[in-house]
Amino acid sequence: MEEEHRVTDLIKELVLRLLSQNPQNPSSSIDTQKSLRYAIRILSSLMTPSIAPDSAAIAESIKRQLATQGKSSQALAFADLYTKFASKNGPGSIENKWAVLYLLKVISEDRKNQKSRSDSRVSSGFSASVGLPALFDAESGGYSGVSRNRETLEKGWNNGVLLVSKDPENIREIAVREFANLVKEENEVSEEVLVRDVLYACQGIDGKYVKFDKSVDGYLLRDSIKVPRATRITVQKLCELGWLFRKVKGYISESMDRFPAEDVGTVGQAFCAALQDELSHYYKLLAVLEAQSMNPIPLVSEMANSGNYLSLRRLSVWFAEPMVKMRLMAVLVDKCRVLRGGAMAGAIHLHAQHGDPLVHEFMRQLLCRVCSPLFEMVRSWVLEGELEDIFAEFFVLGQPVKAESLWREGYRLHAGMLPSFISQSLAQRILRTGKSINFLRVCCEDRGWADAATEAAAAAGTTTRRGGLGYGETDALESLVIEAAKRIDKHLLDVMYKQYKFKEHCLAIKRYLLLGQGDFVQYLMDIVGPELSEPANTISSFKLAGLLESAIRSSNAQYDDRDILDRLRVKMMPHGTGDRGWDVFSLEYDARVPLNTVFTESVMARYLRIFNFLWKLRRVEHALIGAWKTMKPNCITSNSFIKLQSAVKLQLLSTLRRCQVLWDEMNHFVSNLQYYIMFEVLEVSWSNFSNEMEAAKDLDDLLAAHDKYLNSIVEKSLLGERSQNLYKTLFVLFDLILRFRSHVDRLYEGIHELQSRTMESLSPSRDKTRSRRLLNDKTAEPGAWISDGRKALTQRAGEFLRNMGQDLDAIAKEYSSLLEGFISQLPVQQHIDLKFLLFRLDFTEFYCQLHPNM
Amino acid sequence: MDPEAAQTARESLELAFHMSNILDTGLDRRTLSVLITLCDLGLNPEALAAVVKELRRESCSSSPMPETPSSVS
Repeated sequence: MEEEHRVTDLIKELVLRLLSQNPQNPSSSIDTQKSLRYAIRILSSLMTPSIAPDSAAIAESIKRQLATQGKSSQALAFADLYTKFASKNGPGSIENKWAVLYLLKVISEDRKNQKSRSDSRVSSGFSASVGLPALFDAESGGYSGVSRNRETLEKGWNNGVLLVSKDPENIREIAVREFANLVKEENEVSEEVLVRDVLYACQGIDGKYVKFDKSVDGYLLRDSIKVPRATRITVQKLCELGWLFRKVKGYISESMDRFPAEDVGTVGQAFCAALQDELSHYYKLLAVLEAQSMNPIPLVSEMANSGNYLSLRRLSVWFAEPMVKMRLMAVLVDKCRVLRGGAMAGAIHLHAQHGDPLVHEFMRQLLCRVCSPLFEMVRSWVLEGELEDIFAEFFVLGQPVKAESLWREGYRLHAGMLPSFISQSLAQRILRTGKSINFLRVCCEDRGWADAATEAAAAAGTTTRRGGLGYGETDALESLVIEAAKRIDKHLLDVMYKQYKFKEHCLAIKRYLLLGQGDFVQYLMDIVGPELSEPANTISSFKLAGLLESAIRSSNAQYDDRDILDRLRVKMMPHGTGDRGWDVFSLEYDARVPLNTVFTESVMARYLRIFNFLWKLRRVEHALIGAWKTMKPNCITSNSFIKLQSAVKLQLLSTLRRCQVLWDEMNHFVSNLQYYIMFEVLEVSWSNFSNEMEAAKDLDDLLAAHDKYLNSIVEKSLLGERSQNLYKTLFVLFDLILRFRSHVDRLYEGIHELQSRTMESLSPSRDKTRSRRLLNDKTAEPGAWISDGRKALTQRAGEFLRNMGQDLDAIAKEYSSLLEGFISQLPVQQHIDLKFLLFRLDFTEFYCQLHPNM
Repeated sequence: MDPEAAQTARESLELAFHMSNILDTGLDRRTLSVLITLCDLGLNPEALAAVVKELRRESCSSSPMPETPSSVS
């Protein structure tokens, strides 16, 4: 009430003053009253201003007006005044500054108009201050009831047009107001609601208007809702984030469900955990945005600062970065749905090869977490030999095998689970290191590798505890593996050499199985020989074992290590009927754990084969030497020649000579072959193997070296597959030589008998009656011989010798043809180099000359 | 009214008076202060301007030139 009173009082005063301004007309009280009433009427009719309450804009427009009128100095002065005026704040200052400015403006304009007006005036009543913008010359239409007869063009006074608002800047305000109306019409739903709905959609929840549409597989605004097309499209674009979120969340919840069934491995779990972390960041952002979305969105006409509001456009800016990240996550989720373990890590790693730093950083963090279980597994495998892999995600697979095949078959690499940032060679090293630890633990019962492991870790700069390594530190991992591999390999080889005396055993095998210990072999053959001529099924291996023992004791082998001698045994191979002992006899060496990793069953079988061959060769040599013992000239044989007839003598001599020649040839062949095998093959291979043993860095190298050694022996001794023909020829030759030996035996037996007969018949008056009597006793049919006389004897001798001669000739011919065939094949061999053998056998080129086609 | 507020008010009035002189409104200090007070109380400045105009016209019309008051629409 007081307010109103005050207002009324002020108005009264105003009226008085205004009326009294005109000095000509003394104001009467009635006039004053009337005017007062009038004034109040005016004031009560217009309550709301039509313009935006922005004092700065008004001041601007005034300034501009002044400037356009050419009063630029005044404009500057005005600007100055306005700044001072506007800076006045606090008690006592004017609050509605804009109102004051506007008032001044309008009054000045009115005055101007009044001054420039001529008689007839266009009614520019109160509607002058309301509504339409000032239209300049061009547009002059609009309000009816305008008399166009005013032609006067004045500044600020338009051509007969109702100047409804004299403020040109009101165009903007008016247009904006129109737009606001339009927007309200077009949008059934306000933007704030849409923004909130979009925010819900981006968390996978259906909003009031934005729902998930299964047919389109996306979040959409229902078509029935009337929104402008631009808004619809914007909402759709923003809801892509919601779709991606749904996908990622779906994967996470699926994995969590499957976890109890042990289908999702540790890597998969790490992946889910990393994704959930990312999503929690995302939720934080959404929470902030939701808080902001509660602020109302001001329409363009309202310039009030209503706090941080959230419009669809602002939302799209906020969503730019999360969209990129969510897209990445969705792609990864798609890729990794079917993968597990190392394969999953490798696939994610491939996606991390990206140039954009945001993507790169994001992927790096993700991979750090995803690969940590893998790196853990590698670390524990490499430093402790433990394979803690419940879900089969590691790229090393183990299977339970016997101790002797632990090295070769116990563990292998699974290429599918090998992530792409671990190279093949590194993977091999990892495999070998863990295998070595397990080997040491199981086969060698050695505990020293733990020290080696800690040393390795210290050298590589990491610890043996968990969590030492992470993704992106592949170099660190590599150095750790290399250090560990180096030390453990060295340790393993030390154990093999020192504790288990690998080298000594190899040497022992060479000496016994490969007949390196010559004197032992000689004794053995001497003792065992007669036994082995029996049929195989009558021989007892027990007896042979005893013979073996005695052979060892009588040779240098007795000074050898007891442990080694214990392992040497006789073995009778499975035989059929008709086999002689020679065919089934063999020696064997018992290599126990861990050496039977090297000397496996198949390896020992090969050694056996070589042994058989060498044994046969020795036997042949032995046979020939035995023949020599019979054949060497002695007084017994030479004495008899004097007494015989010349024809027989001649025959005898020629036979003997032929026999001798053949023996020489055979001996030459056999001894050269023997020499070749012993020195060119066995010793050379052994020295190569020794060198490689020295240079070997790990057990794999050692195994490879040993294989190479055996292979070279097998190939060079013509036992390989491609030398089958040569091998067969050789064996036929051996058989032939043995036949020869038996012939020679028979021949010399016959000669001895003949000579004993001759001696007896020719020398009756000798002093040594006792010896003669002995001789007499020995003869089977004394009467038959003596009674026949010399002629019968000669005849018999001649016949005998002739038969023998023929046999010898046959043997000789066969032998020479076979040998020729054998030698001709030697230079043709392409897989082995037999030139040394050829050289030895044919160094005088005797055979080449004999048969020029060779 | 404390002296500081009075000072502020005086200065504001001065500034407004200068501004009104530049704009050639023909208002004197007293009238201007009344008008400012009325504006501050929340009255529509357009309406006030209209009052000023009409009353001036009336005062002019009471002089020899007769004017028909315009209709209020």
